[in-house]
Amino acid sequence: MPVQCSSCGERRAMLKRPKTGHSLCKECFFWAFEEEVHQTIVAAQLFKPGETVGIGASGGKDSTVLAHVMKVLNERYNYGLKLILISVDEGITGYRDDSLETVKRNQQQYDLPLKIVSYEELYGWTMDAIVKQVGLKNNCTFCGVFRRQALDRGALMLKVDKICTGHNADDVAETVLMNVLRGDIARLRRCTAISTASEGEGVVPRCKPLKYAYEKEIVLYAYFKKLDYFSTECIYSPNAYRGYARTFLKDLESVRPSTIMDIIHSGENLSVREGVKMPVQGTCSRCGYISSQALCKSCVLLEGLNRGLPKLGIGKHHRLHDKILTKQPLTEAEERKLRKSVDF
Amino acid sequence: MCQVDEDYNGQLDRDEVLSFSKKCVKCKEATAVLVIRAGDMFCSGCFKEYFVHKFRAMLGKNRIIFPGERVLLAVSGGPSSCSMLNQVQEGLSQNAHKKLRFIPGIVYIDEGGALGLSVEERQRTVDELQSMFKATGFPYHILPLEEVFDLPSSVLEESSPSSEQPDITYKAAVDHFIQTNRNCYLSPEKQADLTGLNIQESHTHSLQQIFGSIKTLTAKEDLLQTLRQHLLVHTARSKGYSKLMLGDNCTRLAVKLLASISLGRGAQLAIDTGFSDLRYGDIITVRPMRDYSAKEVSFYNHMYNVPSVFIPTLDTKTTDKASVLRLTESFVTKLQAHFPSTVSTIYRTSEKLQTIQPSPSSSTAHNWDKCLLCMCALDTNVVEKASAFQATLISELLSQRRASRPVDTASPTLRPEFQGPESTAAGGVGCERAACGGGCCSSVKAPESTELKSLLCYSCQLTIKDMSSADLLPQYILSEAQRRKRRSQMREEIREFLLDEDY
Amino acid sequence: MAAPIALRLQFGGGAELLFDGVKEHQVTLPSQSEPWDMKQLLVWIQRNLLKERPELFVQGDSVRPGILVLINDADWELMGELEYQLQDQDNVVFISTLHGG
Repeated sequence: MPVQCSSCGERRAMLKRPKTGHSLCKECFFWAFEEEVHQTIVAAQLFKPGETVGIGASGGKDSTVLAHVMKVLNERYNYGLKLILISVDEGITGYRDDSLETVKRNQQQYDLPLKIVSYEELYGWTMDAIVKQVGLKNNCTFCGVFRRQALDRGALMLKVDKICTGHNADDVAETVLMNVLRGDIARLRRCTAISTASEGEGVVPRCKPLKYAYEKEIVLYAYFKKLDYFSTECIYSPNAYRGYARTFLKDLESVRPSTIMDIIHSGENLSVREGVKMPVQGTCSRCGYISSQALCKSCVLLEGLNRGLPKLGIGKHHRLHDKILTKQPLTEAEERKLRKSVDF
Repeated sequence: MCQVDEDYNGQLDRDEVLSFSKKCVKCKEATAVLVIRAGDMFCSGCFKEYFVHKFRAMLGKNRIIFPGERVLLAVSGGPSSCSMLNQVQEGLSQNAHKKLRFIPGIVYIDEGGALGLSVEERQRTVDELQSMFKATGFPYHILPLEEVFDLPSSVLEESSPSSEQPDITYKAAVDHFIQTNRNCYLSPEKQADLTGLNIQESHTHSLQQIFGSIKTLTAKEDLLQTLRQHLLVHTARSKGYSKLMLGDNCTRLAVKLLASISLGRGAQLAIDTGFSDLRYGDIITVRPMRDYSAKEVSFYNHMYNVPSVFIPTLDTKTTDKASVLRLTESFVTKLQAHFPSTVSTIYRTSEKLQTIQPSPSSSTAHNWDKCLLCMCALDTNVVEKASAFQATLISELLSQRRASRPVDTASPTLRPEFQGPESTAAGGVGCERAACGGGCCSSVKAPESTELKSLLCYSCQLTIKDMSSADLLPQYILSEAQRRKRRSQMREEIREFLLDEDY
Repeated sequence: MAAPIALRLQFGGGAELLFDGVKEHQVTLPSQSEPWDMKQLLVWIQRNLLKERPELFVQGDSVRPGILVLINDADWELMGELEYQLQDQDNVVFISTLHGG
């Protein structure tokens, strides 16, 4: 027997909401989903009228739904925002080419301007080339560090005031779990923030309008709305440890569907004991990007690639930062240590 | 979405193959018999020394248990609490080095009624434990969980710390103790002559009714834990103990910490897993076993013949996905097998956390600011408009019959304003209504459960939500709820006559 | 005896990768003494369609957590999940939420 929509009481329910256990029909679901994102935007005061907002667009489900909903809400509620899609081209043949095609179609479907920034253009290296040098073991470190900066650089070129990303409730909950498992108290404290304040030159404030939206609902929203999105695993395998956390989260969700929100609630209410050491945020003395060291991770990784010593940016080699800054050559012993193929 | 935004490499210790020097790392002579932590191999003699030292060092370092104080050891029959009992016994014995100086007693709570065990099964377990307890010479109290039905509602009130030890320092107390007790052997009071469990059948029935009304094992485990805790605190109070010792080991606490996060208990993590727990005021809970891993405990128990009793629990013989706690336990165990530092890393996280304390002005007298069940500070009266708690309330509101919603939210034409907080509130009606503490959006539900909700923390709300009727809860909880509701109503009424907001 | 039933099975969100990248399958389940339910369908899919790494699709007797199931475009959680009795011409969709973003 069909279940009735708990909201309109008329139409047949098409999904069960994991957050609350209610059953909704398509129309009421669309309305509730969009309204909730709107309420999040209003309650957290994410934007101001007249701002230019960059939407980090990868072509995947989250950013496609984000772009769609931002466009809908901006018009429905007269946010007065100028929206721009920003995509990063990591230079991964067969993965990013295809997803960028999706983003280009999205650009036309939503009639939003699109800016693509590529690793090659910014750093002189594509991910394909990086993988050739470092192999498949630490490539995700390069990709992650470079992407974060690439989005910022793209945003600066376009003079946007804010960037919003498609991180959803599952992503945030997973990050909370990850940081507990790693004992990373500094990130544990930061990771549930819905937006980051401007952290200095070269860093654009970021926010996550989908922070309280379940992945399940995002996928169903995209499916029912027939949104055009791209879904393929990155060909350069993902972080294994994160995989454990993700599986655990999905299992938890199947035991108690509200768990994802419950974890975020936990994260939002943790407080750290006084006297626990926190890293001090400074800026990179080479590129001006935020960094807790003299050189930001991105510059160190790049230096390593360019010198043919990829291990430089992996692990802790802070002692060598002064040498890099002053462009001094490394000693033979130092080089030997770093040249060995990265392997752990 | 690709999750490699942050760099997580290089800090995870993979399981490494150990080198094959099989000598004890401490004495470097005897052959090692076990490995604790990555790489540390101990012979049995050095392991014993290390194990015993750790227990006394833990109590010595924290200086919470005063000499001559009466301490109630909660023994569940499991390896960890039995090991704790054994350490206390050894530590109090005449020839102990760094002798312990408190007066112990034992409490065991038999949960068989909640599990649906027969009286015979329960009695068998109790007999076994009783002979173990008798052998210690310590006084002991064996109580069925059914006794929660006789608890007074005052157990849910926080009592102020006892005035007997006003501000004397630990050092002074030790000196005083040594002077007055130098030559007298601390003899524990006489053992009560208990014959067996005294169970009221009607209470067993009520207990089973409560647990039968809970839809999920997650919530059952949670409520069982809560009731057990109330009974422990009450027993300590009524039998004249001022400290309660729990046997949670490091592995257990790591699982508990991760499970607590998943259950929405982030605000209470520090108090739930720390060495000392001050939530009950006069009775302080301590966890002296928190530095031992489950492996250390079971090795020690095995090598030195520490007895323990297998006691079935709610999740005995269930699958991995039976409850949040069960799932977390199996997750941590598996991860620990691949990454041996998992447990210690999670455990270290717990040491860096602190409890959000209610502001000093509202410390002791204001019981209504504490959760009715777990007695931690409420984490539901949040000021922040954008939070997981608010987002869930909004979702509930938006998923209900539009007719029962406030009129404004039903129309999708509300105009948000971005400028100031005032206009934001005016724009987001649903949001503002929801911010009143969770009462309004549930106005269509049964009044009792709604009323209880406002007295509970986020996590205990989840537990009660899985219960078909909160009215089945033991009377002491319901009467205390009534009392708190009356008081807050009174406050509301008084507030109307007060012009000053800072009443 | 229940008559054979024809179904349309769709795989998306990356789940199609486990089925040689084929997103849509028209299948006919043979007649059997009892009516077909979702639980049996999952077993049938494993035996007849799944090309690789079954652990990424099924876990225990259900789908792996993180894979959404829609029966005639409705969430299977509303339809009785594994107990749902399949009808001729039903449309069953499996969407992975586990990658891409």
